[in-house]
Amino acid sequence: MAVGVHQLLNPLGQARVMSAAEAVQSFVEPGAVLGLGGQNINRCPMALVHEVVRQDIGELTVVGCNLSLPLDHLVAAGLVVRTEQGSGNLEKFGTLFSWRRAVEANRIEVRDYSHLSMASRFLAGAMGLPFMPVRSLLGSSILERLVAEEDAVVTADPWSGEPVVLVRACTPDVSLIHANAADADGNVVIDGVTSHEVDMVRASRHVIVSVEEVLPAGAFDDQPERVTISGAYISAVVEQPWGAWPTSVYRRYDYYESEIDGYQKSAKAGDEGPRAFLAEHVTAHADFDAYLAATDPGASARTAMAEQMRSLL
Amino acid sequence: MTVTEPTVGALPRELLVFEGARQIADGDCVIAGTGLPLLAGLVAQRTHAPSARLLIESGVIFPKVVPTPLSVVDPRIMHAPSKLGSLIESLGGFVQRGLVATGFLGGAQIDARANINSTWIERGTGRVRLPGSGGANDIASHCATIVVLTSHEKRRFPERCDYITSPGFLDGPGARRRAGLNPVRVKVVTDLCVMEGDDAEGELTISALMPGATVEEVLANTGFTPRVADHLGVVAVPSPEHLALLRDVLDPDSRYFPERLKNGNT
Repeated sequence: MAVGVHQLLNPLGQARVMSAAEAVQSFVEPGAVLGLGGQNINRCPMALVHEVVRQDIGELTVVGCNLSLPLDHLVAAGLVVRTEQGSGNLEKFGTLFSWRRAVEANRIEVRDYSHLSMASRFLAGAMGLPFMPVRSLLGSSILERLVAEEDAVVTADPWSGEPVVLVRACTPDVSLIHANAADADGNVVIDGVTSHEVDMVRASRHVIVSVEEVLPAGAFDDQPERVTISGAYISAVVEQPWGAWPTSVYRRYDYYESEIDGYQKSAKAGDEGPRAFLAEHVTAHADFDAYLAATDPGASARTAMAEQMRSLL
Repeated sequence: MTVTEPTVGALPRELLVFEGARQIADGDCVIAGTGLPLLAGLVAQRTHAPSARLLIESGVIFPKVVPTPLSVVDPRIMHAPSKLGSLIESLGGFVQRGLVATGFLGGAQIDARANINSTWIERGTGRVRLPGSGGANDIASHCATIVVLTSHEKRRFPERCDYITSPGFLDGPGARRRAGLNPVRVKVVTDLCVMEGDDAEGELTISALMPGATVEEVLANTGFTPRVADHLGVVAVPSPEHLALLRDVLDPDSRYFPERLKNGNT
């Protein structure tokens, strides 16, 4: 099992530009530990998750800090056996209904952390360390379960003697993120908050990044400080404009409330609702562009959300 | 939207926002999620605490928030900050580092010892799964003051939480110290009252009532029996100017106050 075990990056610095279908087929295997980027309603890797649903790759262990819409799609499609997360919700848009039902029915196993302790697990993995100390979790029921499962250890700071919690490194087999831009060598630019993504990417064996725009190799040679994540960690770059839709991409487009609400309404009612939603919005289409064209003909919603984002900057 | 009539009295949930704002001192660093806690922080910044700084768990450091964020990663909350960073920066570099005085939390259950549950609720023979900690456990573990804004329902205030997501006083006086945590002061603001306590007391005490509420009403709607302070205060109502600030400037489309529209107050 990959959780808490070191893995080498492979192959280092050889990112290739490819389609979402090819990238998912190449790097997402059944039973994988899958890291999800994005948070709540921002920069969720929707196009890549659509492709995982389309290719029906199952038995997944999904890891992240806040898991939101993409996790609920994967659960609704029956592709998830376990999650390790800090939270599963969409804030104002409600909880993750498919995930909640699956957890309550013991159809998937769940391991709870706080956001900081989960982010610290990725930080450990990113630095090749087996664990990271945190001073959160102490005294909580979260810790009680993690200790019982041997996923955390309470020990004494060797210097002060004060209690600290050691949480195991989290090293995904493959992580999916969506970003503003990348060059053809996989150097990634993220505008806005980065949540847990930079460390999760650096802790992963493979990373697929979809981006609004792929720039030529060397595009950042004269401004390398623009690069958020080095292409050293990236396996595949997928050019997919609107690839986080209906979630937002800071500086590009705002989140589209009615589409998020539409999914939530279908998911709340029971397992059939989200399945029908995925059949209509995902598996009925050959790719993400076809989904966008079908659900937003004329791109009027997309244009409005791009305009709304510009007005907020 | 039409301009609010400033003479209309504050709604119960609006009073929560103003009493929440009063917990913030000028110069404090405050971590808050979206909804009533963020609005409380924004009210404080625009009234008695202009140099209070907001921190958002997603990595937004000291933003100048524009109306009305629905999420901690909303572009409206990423406006003009000191920096747009990461979860590790906010929850590690500020909260665990001890730089955040006050944290606002929600939760499905808060017990007599101020422990908070946002993970699992026992209901009959089954269990209801909730979103989980997010940054709440980190905030409750490391901030010196925790403020909870919540509606006052009996099921929300059990003697003991089904699951402790975020530590209050744990088992009572001294328990946080034994677990390795620093002391905390907790203030719970509801639509009926204010309850508060610290580690030395190890339990919540009713310290003030909302205008019109009675101790009997509070006790009838609480699953444990809190102590009652010798001198009970009454929560102050906001001035018409401050109410207009909340209604017309901070949440002009009533995204967090659908009841305003129903009541015909705007």
